Amino acid sequence: MNIMGELTIIFGLCLVSEGISALIPVAFPASVIALLLLSLLLFAKVLKPEHIRRFSAFLVANMAFFFLPSCVEVIKHAPAILGQLVPFLLISFLTVPLVYCVTAWVVQLLIRRMGKGGEPHA
Amino acid sequence: MLNAMLSSPLFGLTLSAAAWCAGRQLQKKLGLLPPLLTASALIIALLVLFRIPYERYAAGGDFIKLMLGPVTAVLALNIYNQRAVLKKHFLPVLAGCLVGSLTSVGSILLLCRLFHVDDALAASLLPKSVTTAIAIGIAESRGGVGGIAAAAVMAAGLTGAVFAPLFARLFHVTDPVAEGLAIGACSHALGTTRAMEIGQVQGAMSSIAICVCGILTSILVLFL
Repeated sequence: MNIMGELTIIFGLCLVSEGISALIPVAFPASVIALLLLSLLLFAKVLKPEHIRRFSAFLVANMAFFFLPSCVEVIKHAPAILGQLVPFLLISFLTVPLVYCVTAWVVQLLIRRMGKGGEPHA
Repeated sequence: MLNAMLSSPLFGLTLSAAAWCAGRQLQKKLGLLPPLLTASALIIALLVLFRIPYERYAAGGDFIKLMLGPVTAVLALNIYNQRAVLKKHFLPVLAGCLVGSLTSVGSILLLCRLFHVDDALAASLLPKSVTTAIAIGIAESRGGVGGIAAAAVMAAGLTGAVFAPLFARLFHVTDPVAEGLAIGACSHALGTTRAMEIGQVQGAMSSIAICVCGILTSILVLFL
């Protein structure tokens, strides 16, 4: 597949997802719909990884770059954040170890119960 | 001439790419600091220092933002490539991500109530454990602000990326599958970059957690 073909597939999928997102009665992000659609097409073997390999590799390798404008946008909302800085920071940081701990323990417990744990690291 | 240059969308595009390169160089020299953080700080400092209105930057920045949809979509390839690991640990992966997403959303809601946080900020903080592209979509679809959501996502990602090894020791997490999923569930793509350094299994599981938690959180918030 040439690169323009890859672009057509990915952009087309995202465009269709925007349409679906506008059509469904609940607020569901179009990006997640695109992720689900692409997964479906890959698992159903309608699309092969080779069909989107080069463009996907470029996007994933530079993933964080595309978030840059969203981070810069923070200056637009600085007064709102600064006005509630303490709860913003507390909520942003404190919940991280909590989510880590709960997730890890549930998975570890289930894997041990099912007797198919991976090799523990040193 | 300067005005014509600042009015062009190319200004935001060039500034973003240049700041990114500078951020990458800084990371090579100083280690830990992710380019996303340093590049954002650089651009913000420049805009404030030279009193350039944000909208001038956004004219170009919006082109980059447009790519967030495709960036999220191609995560599907990650899931597909890890299908063997996913199949082997399907139930623990699903249960772990579900419990992780529930804990994240539940604890944020609780803390927002506790601190009497206003609705727009609460909607922006709600998806902070999932990857930015999905978080912005969730926040904006619930009346939150994409920029605040991105800031909260960054804060969560950085915490996870820096402290993941410490968390593993602190909470006695020895299973690599559990460790990878936990990193992805609490600190998405930024944490995944660290998980990949810790080990191959941790990296793969963390990528899967980004996708599964993103999808589950999008569904969970529909019921709020």
